[in-house]
Amino acid sequence: MGVLRVERDATTGLAAKASGVAWRDYDVQLTVYAVLLAAIGLAMAYSHTTAQLGEALVAGSTFTRGLVWAGFALVAYAAATLFDYRWLRALTWPIYVVNLGLLAATLVLGDSDAASARWISVAGFQFQFSEIAKILMILVLARYLADREERLDSLGAILGACLVMGPPWILVLLQPDLGTSLVFLAILTGMLFMAGASLRWLGAMAVAAIAALPLVWTYVLHDYQRERLTSFLDPASDPLGAGFQLLTAQHAVASGGLLGAGLTNGAQNQSDLLPVQTTDFVFAILAEELGFIGCVVVFLLFAALIWRILAIAWRSRDPFGLMVGAGIASMVLFQLTVNIGMVLGIMPVTGIPLPFITHGGSSLLSVAIGLGVLQSVAIRQQRAEW
Amino acid sequence: MSTFEQPVTHQRRPARFVVFAIAVVVVMSGLTLRLSSMQLGGPAPGAPALPAVGETRNTALEPIASTRGLVYDRARRPLVENVPTFTVRIRPVDLPLSRRTEVVERLAGLLGTTSTALNTTLDAGSTSRFDAIAIARDVPEKTARLISEDGLTLPGVEVTVEPRREYLGGTVMTQIVGYTGALSAEGYTDLKAAGYLPDDRIGKAGVELSYEEELRGTYGTQRVEQDATGRRIRVVGVDTPPTAGSSLVLTIDTKEQRLAEKALKWGLEKAHLKRGAMVVLNPQTGEVLAMVSFPTYDANQFSKGITDAQFRKLLNNPNKPLINHAIGDIQPPGSTYKIVTGTAALAEKVITTSSTVTSKPYVQLGDTKFWEWNRAGWGPLTIYEGFGHSSDTYFYQLANRLGITRLAHWAKQLGFGQKSGIDLPYEAAGLVPTNDWKMNAYGQPIYPGEVLQAGIGQGYDLATVLQVANAYATLANGGKLYRPQVVREVLAPDGTVARPFKPDLIRKLKAPASVFTAMRKAARRVVTIRHTYNLVDLPIVVAGKTGTAEFGLRDKNGVLPYSHWFAGFVPKKAWKRDNPTGDVSKPDSQLAFCVFTYDSRTLGNVATEVAKYYLQLHFGIKRDYRLPELLKRTNFYQGRT
Repeated sequence: MGVLRVERDATTGLAAKASGVAWRDYDVQLTVYAVLLAAIGLAMAYSHTTAQLGEALVAGSTFTRGLVWAGFALVAYAAATLFDYRWLRALTWPIYVVNLGLLAATLVLGDSDAASARWISVAGFQFQFSEIAKILMILVLARYLADREERLDSLGAILGACLVMGPPWILVLLQPDLGTSLVFLAILTGMLFMAGASLRWLGAMAVAAIAALPLVWTYVLHDYQRERLTSFLDPASDPLGAGFQLLTAQHAVASGGLLGAGLTNGAQNQSDLLPVQTTDFVFAILAEELGFIGCVVVFLLFAALIWRILAIAWRSRDPFGLMVGAGIASMVLFQLTVNIGMVLGIMPVTGIPLPFITHGGSSLLSVAIGLGVLQSVAIRQQRAEW
Repeated sequence: MSTFEQPVTHQRRPARFVVFAIAVVVVMSGLTLRLSSMQLGGPAPGAPALPAVGETRNTALEPIASTRGLVYDRARRPLVENVPTFTVRIRPVDLPLSRRTEVVERLAGLLGTTSTALNTTLDAGSTSRFDAIAIARDVPEKTARLISEDGLTLPGVEVTVEPRREYLGGTVMTQIVGYTGALSAEGYTDLKAAGYLPDDRIGKAGVELSYEEELRGTYGTQRVEQDATGRRIRVVGVDTPPTAGSSLVLTIDTKEQRLAEKALKWGLEKAHLKRGAMVVLNPQTGEVLAMVSFPTYDANQFSKGITDAQFRKLLNNPNKPLINHAIGDIQPPGSTYKIVTGTAALAEKVITTSSTVTSKPYVQLGDTKFWEWNRAGWGPLTIYEGFGHSSDTYFYQLANRLGITRLAHWAKQLGFGQKSGIDLPYEAAGLVPTNDWKMNAYGQPIYPGEVLQAGIGQGYDLATVLQVANAYATLANGGKLYRPQVVREVLAPDGTVARPFKPDLIRKLKAPASVFTAMRKAARRVVTIRHTYNLVDLPIVVAGKTGTAEFGLRDKNGVLPYSHWFAGFVPKKAWKRDNPTGDVSKPDSQLAFCVFTYDSRTLGNVATEVAKYYLQLHFGIKRDYRLPELLKRTNFYQGRT
């Protein structure tokens, strides 16, 4: 008997695993849009490397490092798709603890760069764990909110979600990484909203957050952060100082015109005058070289990507899938709004990367894992029966 | 195998999906709209015009330095000029990190320095990667040309032509004109808002400092085109042109200043002294006609970039050459201060011009004897004789009758114990002791003995040479205290007078004119009584007061070191042939002066001899009345005041 029962259990287990995957539900469009966006990011890295060094395939160059990271991201994407997302339920809290550990380790061991410690070098690769932390926090929050779906009109569940987000948020703010901490808040807000949290409580918290802004401004922010946040209002007031980056970026964007100067031909790209032009300000070079049409294509790809994410979220029978979709969509939308808005001079300067396009492995890896989990959700919504 | 959909285990909220989708659409449209206005529309209103696609448009903003204003002496002789020099700078943002070592090494070779030194300058000077850091100034033209022609191998390196201040007035004008130097890092933080740049130069002393705002002008900005390595190709356009600074015309004539310098230098050298100062004022306007301080320094050392060793030498010199001893050094004024006690006694009606006070060998207060300087006294004296003999016991008694409060009041009326407000930096205020001051400083009231000391310019009394000169100028003009000024006119960049000279009356002293007339006569009596030896024999009429001021600590023989003072004035009718009676009753004096020599150790008064020589030079007196034997060193204290 015992043997039989074991056999039966094993059979059902195997059957569920094998038959739970419906490959026809695999969202090909999502993959296509993501790969295209990543390819544009690689093109920008290629352009920068070529303009600076004359050729692209130089060891250690922005482009070659980008290629390696793109390979990693593809592997991570595939692995996350194949992995049954339902296992994540058991792994939620271990993930959370690991996440806190990574962020704390960054604070202690981080490579210091301009007074903030954000990177940890592992085997020659620099990891920015606050980027990975975004996707890990989406998974943790998704689990947390999915488990409390029925109670989301109460203040308790909302405050609980805030408490879960609190410790990693503080660790990121301590680095100090203002940009990523804002992304955390956007993810939290987006997920609560899509989960159906009471609008009354969300509104009340928004009012409280706005009321706290003057205190944050005075006591939490560093001088350089304040300067960056305000310089966008009138960059011309300090054209050689804080406003330089913005003016140069806007200059690059404006010189792009309809069609752009063409890949590798951007004057700002060649002169390497614009700081962080492969990372935070990459869109300025993109606008300079690919022009208005190139930018609109990028916008459309992002819109299509978000549409596919929301579609998978909608189709998910399982609240966890909905939450993961909501989290990733919020993250992508917020980052692209703030990053591109910053380059176009309508948003304050914060160090938030543009998903896929910004050169930076951790960011790409993070998005790839997120989208992989989403695919994993998409293909596991059918129940097999014999 | 058949598949069935899993049951929906949660509630979907279409409304929230719709809201999210709308947010996406709004964001995308907003960004597209903004992008189209930037890329497809014309230049934004107010923004500088941007070149069209295809043009070289690699431009950067650069400041354009304004031309610093000049300084002229009273006769419009230039005291400073702007000499073009070559400065090598590195703009860190234009120097790729991978090439830094190579570039720094090459530059070090060209400039004849070490790469370590250059790296130190580079790392220390950087506040922003966009600001160019000056790594070598005053570079020879040949080297500058080599560096600027070596464009491709030296990215981020710039050679600029910059004016350096070359001071033409010599060391005698240094304390007045001052110098400019590099702006310190802290200074930059404070002045950034005023348009200063991190490696800017700023006035550090003299009128270069006190008139920094007028001299500097306003910097402009220009747009320059750069090549791929960040080297500037050409100036594309000027956004805002710079405004040149204003120039200054001093009240001081270099020739007059040289006369004062010559006289003071002679006196100090004869007496083997190092430190002294002299001020000549126009008592009718407060204009400074000469101001000399010894020892001094060369301003060009600073404008060329002083070395550490040179600067340390100046700092460690015990006679403090960096201090303007005419305004920045406070010393007990000694008997010159009796002008305060005398004026106060007459104004407060403690005495009249005809009443007498008996001078004695000493005045006793409790157990303490306050001695007359000749240990004998002269019997009953009027104010004229008391001042003329510089009788200590006479003035002890006046001070005792006045009390510290009235004494301090008149001292302050005459400009002691407060900055004169001269338009030069680093002026000292001096000290006039009062009861309140002593309670604050020592927790005790002023003792009666200290009141006596205060009446003869000893004890706590401390004054600058300028304060004493200005007090005698006030006496000479009949009671008007003017703010001394060294800048006569401010000239606009086009040479027109932007600010003409205006005397600045601080106060008219509330005392009858007769008080000052009496004190002027008393000052003349100092000379006629031969207290100042042969000064009376000069063919011009001089009035004044000597001072021998003790300071510091007694030496092993119980003798205190002492400094010499002489302050006085010359009436409008200076020559005896016009003024045979030596009349000084009118408040019309043309000159007031004060000479100070530090730690004199001589038999006679060095300051009086200096003043005598200066007057000889100023009035072009052919015969020499100097008595150099009075300036021999002595190792005993004569007790002369």
